Amino acid sequence: MSAEIRHEFQVIGKPTPKKDAPLKAAGRAEFADDINMAGMLHGKLLRSPHPHARILSIDASRAAALPGVRAVITGKDFPGVRYGNLPRTRDYLPLAIDTVRYIGEEVAAVAAIDEDTAEEALDLVQVEYEVLPAVFDPEEAMKPGAPQLHAPAPGNISAHTESEFGNVEAAFAEAAYIREDMFETHAVKQGMLEPHACVGVWDSFGKATLWSCKMSPYTVWRQLAMGLDMKPGDIRVVQTYVGGGFSGGKQEAMPMDFCALMLSKKTGRPVKFVHTMEEVLTIGHLRHPMKIWLRTGTTKDGRIVAQHCKLLANGGAYSSIGGFSIFLAGAMLNLPYRVPNMRFESNRVYTNNGFCGALRGHTVVQMCFARDSQLELIAADLGIDPLEIRHRNAIQEGDVTANGFRIGTFAFDECIKRVAEMSGWHEKRGKLPKYRGIGFGCGAHLSGARLMGHSASAAEIRMLEDGTVHLTTGSTDVGQGVETVMSMIAAEVLGIEVDDVTYLKVDSAATPLDPGTFGSRVTLFTGNAVKQAAEEVCRQLAEIAGERMGVDPQDLIFRRREIVNHKDEKQRVSLKEIVRWGMFQQGKVISGRGTYGASEEKIDFRTGQGNLSPAYNPTACAVEVEVDPETGRVTMVGLWGADDSGTPLNPLAVKGQVIGAAVMSIGHALWENLIRIDGKVMNPSLRDYKMPQATDLPKLANFEHSNVITWEPEGPFGAKEAGQGAGTGVVAAIANAIHDATGVRLTRLPFTPESILAGIEELKEKEAVTES
Amino acid sequence: MTYLRRLPKFEYVGPRTLTEVCSLISGGAPDDAMLLAGGTDAILQMRRRERVPRRVIGLKGVAELDFVREQADGGLSIGAMTTLHSLLSAPAIRQRYAILHETAAQIGGPELRNIATIGGNIAGALPCADLPPALMTLDAQIKLSSHRGERWMPLRDFFPEFGRTVAQDDELLSEIKLPRPAPYSAGTYLKFHDRQSMDMTVVGVGAFVVLDDDGRTVRELRLAYANGAPTVFRAMKAEAVLCGQLFGEKVLDAVAEAACSESSPRTSWRANAGYRLSLIRALTKRAIRRSWQSASSQKGTK
Ligand SMILES: Cc1cc2nc3c(=O)[nH]c(=O)nc-3n(C[C@H](O)[C@H](O)[C@H](O)COP(=O)(O)OP(=O)(O)OC[C@H]3O[C@@H](n4cnc5c(N)ncnc54)[C@H](O)[C@@H]3O)c2cc1C
Repeated sequence: MSAEIRHEFQVIGKPTPKKDAPLKAAGRAEFADDINMAGMLHGKLLRSPHPHARILSIDASRAAALPGVRAVITGKDFPGVRYGNLPRTRDYLPLAIDTVRYIGEEVAAVAAIDEDTAEEALDLVQVEYEVLPAVFDPEEAMKPGAPQLHAPAPGNISAHTESEFGNVEAAFAEAAYIREDMFETHAVKQGMLEPHACVGVWDSFGKATLWSCKMSPYTVWRQLAMGLDMKPGDIRVVQTYVGGGFSGGKQEAMPMDFCALMLSKKTGRPVKFVHTMEEVLTIGHLRHPMKIWLRTGTTKDGRIVAQHCKLLANGGAYSSIGGFSIFLAGAMLNLPYRVPNMRFESNRVYTNNGFCGALRGHTVVQMCFARDSQLELIAADLGIDPLEIRHRNAIQEGDVTANGFRIGTFAFDECIKRVAEMSGWHEKRGKLPKYRGIGFGCGAHLSGARLMGHSASAAEIRMLEDGTVHLTTGSTDVGQGVETVMSMIAAEVLGIEVDDVTYLKVDSAATPLDPGTFGSRVTLFTGNAVKQAAEEVCRQLAEIAGERMGVDPQDLIFRRREIVNHKDEKQRVSLKEIVRWGMFQQGKVISGRGTYGASEEKIDFRTGQGNLSPAYNPTACAVEVEVDPETGRVTMVGLWGADDSGTPLNPLAVKGQVIGAAVMSIGHALWENLIRIDGKVMNPSLRDYKMPQATDLPKLANFEHSNVITWEPEGPFGAKEAGQGAGTGVVAAIANAIHDATGVRLTRLPFTPESILAGIEELKEKEAVTES
Repeated sequence: MTYLRRLPKFEYVGPRTLTEVCSLISGGAPDDAMLLAGGTDAILQMRRRERVPRRVIGLKGVAELDFVREQADGGLSIGAMTTLHSLLSAPAIRQRYAILHETAAQIGGPELRNIATIGGNIAGALPCADLPPALMTLDAQIKLSSHRGERWMPLRDFFPEFGRTVAQDDELLSEIKLPRPAPYSAGTYLKFHDRQSMDMTVVGVGAFVVLDDDGRTVRELRLAYANGAPTVFRAMKAEAVLCGQLFGEKVLDAVAEAACSESSPRTSWRANAGYRLSLIRALTKRAIRRSWQSASSQKGTK
C-alpha cells in the first residue's frame, strides 16, 4: 500500500509558514507601485461627476499644453470595442465614449512626468456634459419610463435567471407549514490594502506588456485584447505581488490598465497608474446589494419540502461578473440543506451606481444570511431546536441535489455537532444573561466552478540541476498562501523540501494558461494539476534512476531528496545525482506537466442543471454577542466555527483563511457599508468605510475553529476549499445571536446599533401595550 | 466628485515665535492665510479644496506653544501645539485630569495622535471634536493671542455656530488653562462610535461631578456634548437639575431629559437625529453615574 493511501506524508498536513512571509514582513516584496522604470510617466484618470450624462464634447488641448504633460487620451483613442466577462454582458469600455453611467466613471486619462502634474492636467480637461435623468434603486429602474442605461438591456435588466427543479407548486400545496420573508443586503467593498496599480509598456515592436497586481492575469489578458482589438499574442500580462484581492478590479482589466498601455503607445514611455483608496472605494466592484424574498414550505417536523426564492440585485452601471453572480445565488439554494423542490427567479438590474460583481463568498454570503435566518424562524414557529432543524435538513454524503450537484464528502452533521460542543451551545442557548445571546449559522461553498468557457488548470514543473524545481501555474498567490501550498504539493510528490520549490508568478508569456484565482478553485483544480506534473517528473526521474541503479522504476520512491528502492531501502541515490546524470550525460529536459478540470462535465447555465463543482464543503458556526440595550451596540464575545475542508494541506494557512473569512463577514454584518446617496459615495475612506481592525475584535483572540477531516477523492491529497466557505454562515449567526440576546429579528443589513435599538424600543412598547 | 486632490499651491512660512505668528496674521483676510498645526484636518481640507489659502503658516516651529505646565495655583496650562501624544504622556494629566487622558486616548490611532494637536482639535470648531467637551467639563479657559495683545475666555463661549469660533482673523488660540480640580470630583467622557477603533464620534458625552464634603450631595455637575448640536456645547440647564441634589436614578432621568431638550443633533448619513438623542439620553445618565461613583469613592480614601 502506498504512503498516499495510508495518508502518511512528509510535507502535507504540517503547519507551514507562508513562504513569502519574511519578504512581506520586511517590506521587500515588490508590488506594482514599487516598480520604477527609466523615463516612466505617471497616469491619472478623469472621472465623471454625474451619475448619468451624455458626453457632448471633450477639449483636452489646455491639458495637453501644460508643461510636463506627455499625452491625454479619451474614449475615442480606443477602438470602441466593448469587453467584459460573459459573452452576453460585455458592456465595459476602456474609457467612456458618449455616455457616463455613474459618478466616478473614467472619461479621460493623462500621462505626465509626475502625479501632481497629471492631476493638475485633469483640471484643464473640459468636458461638456448633458446631464440625463438617473435612477439608483433597482425597483425604480425596472418601472416603465425609468431612465435606460444600456440600449441592449430594455427595462434595465442586466441579467435574468430562472430555474425550477421538482414540482414546487405541488410541494407547497402539500406542505404542513409555509412562511415567507424578505431580506435585504447592502453594498460592501473588498477593502484590500493594496489599491489597484499597474505599469504599462508598449514597445517598439508593437507589443504591449502590463505589470499588475492581478488575481487572474489570463482573464485580464483576454479582456485587454478585446478592448484594444488586438491579438492576445501581442499582449503580455505579468503578475506582481498581490496585496489582497477578494475579487473585484484585480480580477478584470480596468480602465487604468488600458490607459497605461495606450498612453505608453502615445508617448513611447512606461506609464504607471495607482488608484487612491478613495478611487478604490468609489468605482464599484462591490458585493451586490440584494432583496431576497424567500418562501419555504416544510413538513410538521420541519423538513423542507419546497423553497421559492425571488431575488433582485442592484447591479450598478455595468455587468462585471453579475450574470454569474445571480446564477450562483440560485445554484446555492441547493446547499447545505436538502431542498427537493425549488424555484428561483432573479433579476440583476442596472442602476446609476458603482457596479457590483464578486467579493469573497460571492453571492453565497447573501443567500446564507437569508436562508439561515429564516430557518431559525421556522424552528421557532414549529417549536424545534435550532440545531435539530439543521440536522434534519442536512445534506449527506452521496446525495444528488435537485439541480444535480453530486455530493461527495460533506460532513455537515459533524460540523454542527463540533460547533455545538466548542461553543457550549446547550449550556448557553436560552440560559445566558439578558442582552447576551448565542446564534448559529451555516453555509457551504464550492471548490471551484465548472464554467462554460475556460475551467481547466495546468501546471508545469521544471527540474533544475541542483535538485530544486521551478513550478509554474496560471494561479496567483493573492496572500492566501497558494505559493506555499502548491510548493508543498510538489515537494510531497518529489520527496523534496518546500523551499526546494520556486513558485513563479504568472506571466502570460511563460506560465500555463489558467482561468485564475477565484471561486475557491486553486487548491483543488491547480493543486491536482501540480500533483500530476510532479508525478510526471517522478516518472521521468525513476526511469533514469532505474537504469542507473538497475532497479525496476516501479519500485522507486522519492523521499528526503533521495530516490529509494522501497523493496531494499539500502539501495538509494540522491535526487541531485540522478538529475545531473540525466541532464549531463543523457541531455534530458526533465519537466512534467499536469492538468485538471478538462472534463466534459459542464453545467447548463440556462436551466441551472449540472454538477457545478467537483467538491462541496459545508460550514457551521456559532457566535456569541453582547448587546448594549441603551445604545444598540453589539460586542462580539465569541466565535466558533467548523468546516469540512477535506484534508487541510497546510493547517496554518487554513486557519488564517477561516479566521479571515469569518472576520470579513463580521465586518459586513456590523460595520461595513458603502453609503451612496444619489449615486455618490459618502464614505470613500478607510476611516469612514469601517472595516474591522484587530482592536475591534479583542475577544476573538481565542477564536476556535475545527476542521472536520474528510478525504475528498476529487481533491489533491484529499483537500477541498477553505477560503470562502467559513465566512458564509457568519452573518446569519450574528443575526440569530442578536435575536437571542434582544428578541429583535434583523432582516436588513448592516445590523447597525441604530436599527437594533429601534427594535428593542419597539419590543418594549409592545410589551407595555400587552401589560396595560 | 470630491477627490482628495493634490495640495493646492501656496506659500509656506514657518515662524519661530508667537510674536512672529501674530504679526504674520495681523492683517490677514480669513481665506488668505491659514494656520497649520498637526495638519490632520487642515491638509485634508486643502486636498478637498474646501480651503485654498494663499499662505500657510506652520506652527510646528513655535516651541513656546508646545508645553504642559503645572501652575502655582494647582491648575494646569497647556500650549496649543501640544500633541495628543504629549497630552497622554504628561503625568499631571494622567493623575489629575483623568477625563482628558481618557478622551485623548480615544481619538484616532497612534499615528494621528503623534501629530494632531489640542489647539487644532479645538480651533477646528467641529461639532464632533472630542477634546472640547472634555475640556468644557473641566471649565477650561482659553487664551487668544494677537498683535493687539491677548485675551482669556471660557472655552464654552468659543463656538458661536457650526464650524466657527469667536476668534478674530488676527487671533490664534495659544493656550488652554485648567483650574485645579476640586476635592471629591471626577469626570468621564463617553464616546459613542460604531467601530471600536479609529472612528468618528456619533455622540460624545462629557460629565464632571463635584461632590459636597458629605460625599453624597452633588455640588456641581458639568455636562458637555460632541455632536449634540451644531457646535460642542455645555448643557447648563441639565446641569442645574442635579445641583444641590442627592444622586439618584429619578433625578438622573430628569437630567437626561433636560439634556435632550437642550440638544439639537442633526441627521446625516452617519446617524439620524432621533438616534443621537437616544444616545444622549442613555450616555448622559451613564456618564454621570460613572463620574459620581468615582468621585464618591474618593471620599473614603481622603
Ligand atoms: C483618521 C482620522 C481620525 C480622526 N479621529 C478623530 C477623533 O476620533 N476625534 C476627533 O476629535 N478628531 C478626529 N480627527 C480629526 C482631527 O484630526 C483632530 O481634530 C485633530 O486634533 C486636529 O488637530 P491638528 O493639529 O491636526 O489641526 P490642523 O488640522 O492643523 O488644524 C485644524 C484647524 O484648526 C486651525 N488651527 C490649528 N491650530 C490653531 C491655533 N492654534 N489657533 C487657531 N486655529 C488653529 C487650522 O487652521 C485648521 O483650520 C480625525 C482625523 C483623521 C484624519
